[in-house]
Amino acid sequence: MTLRTDPVTLQIIANHCRAAAEGMAYTLYRTAHSTFVKETEDFTIQILDRDGKTCATPMDLGATWYPGLDYGEAMAMVEGVRPGDVCACSDPYAGYLATHAPDLHVWRPVFHDGEIVAYASGHIHNTDVGGAVPASLSRTLTDVQQEGIRLPPLRLVKEGSIDPELLRVLLTNVRVPEQNLGDLKAILGATATGERRIRGMIERFGRQGFIDGLADLQDYAEAQARAVLASIPDGDYDFVDYCDEDLPGGEPVRLALRLSISGDSAVLDFTGTDPQVAASLNVPTGGRPRHSLVLVGVYYVLFTLHRGITLNYGLTRPFTCIMPEGSVVNPLPPAAVGMRSLTCARLRSLVFGAFCRAAPERMPAAPAGSSSIVNVMTSDDRTGRRLIAAINPIVGGAGGMPHRDGTDGSGADAAYLKNTPVEITETEVPVRILRYGLAPDTGGAGATRGGLATELMFTVANPGSMVTARNRDRCRFRPWGLLGGGPGMPSTFTLNPGTNHARELGNIDTVKLNPGDVLRIVSPGGGGRGDPFTRDPDAVLLDVQRGFLSAEAARRDYGVVIVEGELDAAATAALRTARRPPHPLFAFGPERTAHEAVWTPEAYAAMGQAMAAIPLHWRAFLKKELFQAIGTTPVPDPVMRVATALADLAARHKPLRPTVSQYSVFGYTRRRASSSP
Amino acid sequence: MGWRLGVDIGGTFTDLCAHDEATGAVHTLKVLSRPDLPGVDVAAAIADVARLHDVDLAQVTRFTHGTTVGVNTIIQRRGATLALFATDGFTDVLELARLRMPDAYSLFGERAAPLVPKDRVFPVAGRLLADGTQLQPIDPASVDAAIAGARARGCAGVVICLLHAWRNPAHEIEVARIVAARAPDLFVFRSTEIWPAIREYERTSTAVLNGYVHPRVALYLERLEAVLAEAGVVARPLITRSNGGVMAARQGRRDCVGMLLSGTACGVMGAAFVAAEAGIRHAATLDVGGTSADVALLLDGQAQFAAGENVGGFPLFVPSVAVSSIGAGGGSIARVDAFGLLKVGPDSAGSMPGPACYGRGGTEATLTDAFAVRGVLGHGALGFGAVRPDVDAARVAVGKVAARLGRSEEETAEAIAAVAVSAMYLEFSKLFARNAVDLTDMTLIAFGGAGPMVGCALARELGLRRMLVPRAPGVVCALGGLVAEIRNDLLRTVMLPLAPESVDAFKDGFAALERDAQAWLADVGEPGVAGVVQVSADMRYRGQSYEIEVPLTAVTCAAMAAAFHARHHAVFDHADPAAAVEVVNLRLSIRAGAPGIASPVLLPADGPPPSRPTRIFLDGAWRDVALYRRADLRAGHTIAGPAVVAQDDTTVLLPAQSQAVVQSHGHLLVTL
Repeated sequence: MTLRTDPVTLQIIANHCRAAAEGMAYTLYRTAHSTFVKETEDFTIQILDRDGKTCATPMDLGATWYPGLDYGEAMAMVEGVRPGDVCACSDPYAGYLATHAPDLHVWRPVFHDGEIVAYASGHIHNTDVGGAVPASLSRTLTDVQQEGIRLPPLRLVKEGSIDPELLRVLLTNVRVPEQNLGDLKAILGATATGERRIRGMIERFGRQGFIDGLADLQDYAEAQARAVLASIPDGDYDFVDYCDEDLPGGEPVRLALRLSISGDSAVLDFTGTDPQVAASLNVPTGGRPRHSLVLVGVYYVLFTLHRGITLNYGLTRPFTCIMPEGSVVNPLPPAAVGMRSLTCARLRSLVFGAFCRAAPERMPAAPAGSSSIVNVMTSDDRTGRRLIAAINPIVGGAGGMPHRDGTDGSGADAAYLKNTPVEITETEVPVRILRYGLAPDTGGAGATRGGLATELMFTVANPGSMVTARNRDRCRFRPWGLLGGGPGMPSTFTLNPGTNHARELGNIDTVKLNPGDVLRIVSPGGGGRGDPFTRDPDAVLLDVQRGFLSAEAARRDYGVVIVEGELDAAATAALRTARRPPHPLFAFGPERTAHEAVWTPEAYAAMGQAMAAIPLHWRAFLKKELFQAIGTTPVPDPVMRVATALADLAARHKPLRPTVSQYSVFGYTRRRASSSP
Repeated sequence: MGWRLGVDIGGTFTDLCAHDEATGAVHTLKVLSRPDLPGVDVAAAIADVARLHDVDLAQVTRFTHGTTVGVNTIIQRRGATLALFATDGFTDVLELARLRMPDAYSLFGERAAPLVPKDRVFPVAGRLLADGTQLQPIDPASVDAAIAGARARGCAGVVICLLHAWRNPAHEIEVARIVAARAPDLFVFRSTEIWPAIREYERTSTAVLNGYVHPRVALYLERLEAVLAEAGVVARPLITRSNGGVMAARQGRRDCVGMLLSGTACGVMGAAFVAAEAGIRHAATLDVGGTSADVALLLDGQAQFAAGENVGGFPLFVPSVAVSSIGAGGGSIARVDAFGLLKVGPDSAGSMPGPACYGRGGTEATLTDAFAVRGVLGHGALGFGAVRPDVDAARVAVGKVAARLGRSEEETAEAIAAVAVSAMYLEFSKLFARNAVDLTDMTLIAFGGAGPMVGCALARELGLRRMLVPRAPGVVCALGGLVAEIRNDLLRTVMLPLAPESVDAFKDGFAALERDAQAWLADVGEPGVAGVVQVSADMRYRGQSYEIEVPLTAVTCAAMAAAFHARHHAVFDHADPAAAVEVVNLRLSIRAGAPGIASPVLLPADGPPPSRPTRIFLDGAWRDVALYRRADLRAGHTIAGPAVVAQDDTTVLLPAQSQAVVQSHGHLLVTL
């Protein structure tokens, strides 16, 4: 690393840039109007260099997604930027900056001697930006046009004043305009704070000194990231993870990654990932090789392996991502993208998994990886009004770590969510909470245990109450265990549990309740790490005494015998000496094993080849038809079964015909396919 | 006329301030703290002051004491084996906390393990609804089972926190009654007697902190009273509190949670006293100790209050003086990272072994060593003679960093100070932004051992034009205790809309709070002291999930609404007079003023202050500057920077283009 700045001054610039970013974040947080921005802290702040690359970001407040964000492409789409302007963008398909319509990104140029030297920028998630449904987000939406009003990159503030006509258009199209306006003012105020801080730094360090400092900060972060990569053995590390459904009641979404580490750089190849889906789960990246959205998992890994690593765009430079066009990680417009956060959670566990393959001894098992936000819409008996209230985010535990158990009920990549006190909820909303706590026997077994799931059980007072649980996933595919550790338990969502009219709701995210109905939601648990039979029996006993583990599970999963609250050391020793099968690197659980017995990697490859050869708008249809044709029973030659089904489909649908010739090339001829039973 | 004594226990030193009511004189001294033998340090300090300043201990009229026994019990996790009785179905309240964890980017993020582990949390069957009505009565059998469980786990005491007790404490009272009857040997705290606010985690956590430290704190206070009695001090001791006030030691035996953050609170109150003497309205305070620095704001001369201050990783919800702690102190260690950047802290050499120049086995370069290398330290002993800095040892330590950095020792030392200052700058920036502070009329008050060395540089970085060094910067905490008022804060959650039909409930609530407050004041045991009552309410717009405290002058709908909208605008830059408002909590604080201290005035200057030449490394070169002794300074003396002012408990570094004026009370005001 060759620095333009002396290393002492660079550390001082680093602290000043952080101070500027933190100051902006506190200003935004303090002045924001919506409870959403205040409570969920769904916003980010950046100091950008003159190319639009993030140089500094706050650590105290805000979401963790955009420390490596690149505004450059969206910036280039705005012409004639002048001092006093602030630009904005919320279109996920213009410049690949915003990632769904509710996210409004803004950037304020800082001119010095007639030239742009840097930018103060950030984004807020608007609670509602219009569109088909309140709050603008629903898994069921299919086109981005349904997801609210979008601003292409443009000048929102012109020489100090918000463009009044543009503002009228914007506010006309949203459901609670005063809230959007309040939050807009807050982020404009925050970027004004940023501009002042940047001017202070230019004065303190000189124009060139400041510009050089921003460049060096990125080089510094890059060098730190490269040092982390260099400490991991070279190689190709493949990993696959699945979202449960590609639409309500649909098929799994397969996310595939090959992490290729070579020296101090890495390629992340997402080839093999499913085609874009008809629901709003697509992740709009434009296939940009360092898009922040697919690198969030990388930030976590880097920060975990190098505590306190400098967070800025430089971290992304050693990485190159390959995201096939038309796939769920590079959808083409007008694919809906509103609920991309569900897929993003899976993308993070996908990245964690690939790094686990590369450096298992340094990594934790999978975190629970699904945070459902439970809201209720009901009537208030006192006022007769409809009211919508957030009850709680239901977050699961962290994965077992090399040095300790996964945190229970929170942690890892969901550590930023905050709950609502039961006393507040019951005072404000006509619901009664029956239980809110940790769910026993949900953490993956391991030498270090996976963090437990959270359980919430409640009943409503009034008829016709509507409960929504956004981001439901991991009901089927479990958070995986590592190095002999078991997987965490999947999430469950149950209406009237323990009664004769109980109903498992799975990933359904909207349910209507009447008085007396009881709803229970249990998050997934974190994955376990290391052979559970090596866990200290006293630690297992303590888990039992704390109600985190049943005695049966202690015996079954840990080989620890506990009789009437006491450890039976002899029986434990006997149980633990019994020969057990060698453990794999990952434990995925029976659901995934069953799925992959039918859908082997080769079968997926065969489907992938077919997909590549047909028009985009046929792909979701083909996937659905293929899954239906193939069913859930394993066969000796799964690839041939796929080829057969493809051929049958092609016979019925002309546009699918290229698949046949395609498959001849790959050796799956019609003749061979037809010879299958 | 008699004496007033303030004794404050710190990690390394126990500080004493003695005020002679007849002459106004204030004497200060330090002895080494003895955490291993609680009370011995207090005895030593009062014996010293009696001997050195001819204090007749029988003439002590007021004795205030700040102790760290509570906070140390939490940090060292040496508190009571405690049981928690919680509502059935909600026994994971401590494990879940509020979910959100620090260190958001790390997969290894961690929060402090609960002080009551789950195997000592027992469910109690019985349920109240949010309106305080009973859904299901307390099941005595479940309480019996909980008691049996607590006994089986060897618990010494019980904390009871039940859902909706903020609205109706009947269930908690009933459970407490059963425990008292069946297990009189277990001490019991109900959440609502500690802090009866809505939000079950916050209330539980606060009550658990109280129960956890209770046995040690009670024992310590007993011992303190014995030590004082033995020394012939008749005045009953007062204990400093997190709210910046004091209470009777006797009250502290059960109200333990109120004293947890008294050390930092007293520092701010001491600084507020100094600011008032110096004629300063708005200030940021910087108290730099060995391992960390405490920073706080004084606005209009008043300390700021906060709830949710952190104690050993746990939030404390009783009103506390807002203080932020920074991991940068005199012992912060400097190192060069793998990429060549210079880092200072957060690792610290602490007070043991301490900086290399302390000669106690420390070998790593610290911020203090950097000042020793630059010639700023080393002109005399530090800490009232406790340490004589070894400049050569500092050079060796800083030299190792210098070799990695490729600079001279002196340049490296100056760089260490600059990086440390930039880290403090970062934390102050956050504090200012969080509170939307206007910097134009702000003064930095720097104290603690290392504060006045870095204060000027930090003030310049922040764009502040003035820095103040108190007359005795090493004992500001003890001074804060000496001048502290008797104070208690009470709260009642109401959760009502701000509407005409609620006003009677507000009035009844305030009346009840005032009755409790007056009873508390009578119990302090200082007869004839009249309390001043202030009321406020925590309010919010309907739908918000956070509330702000609004001082009230009248309890009417219109007055409360107007006060709230104005306050909301002041805090958040916007208000919505048309929106519905809710009142969450009523608050009342009662204060009984300490008899005022007239601190002595220095003799006026007659001619320039005596000085001798010395050499310090400043702005990249060795420079000949004047060295002053603080004790020689008289009111009205002015000193032009660059210069060094040395005194028993700290050293002031004045940079070039600065000017210091000695004020009549002896405080040093530096203009930058």
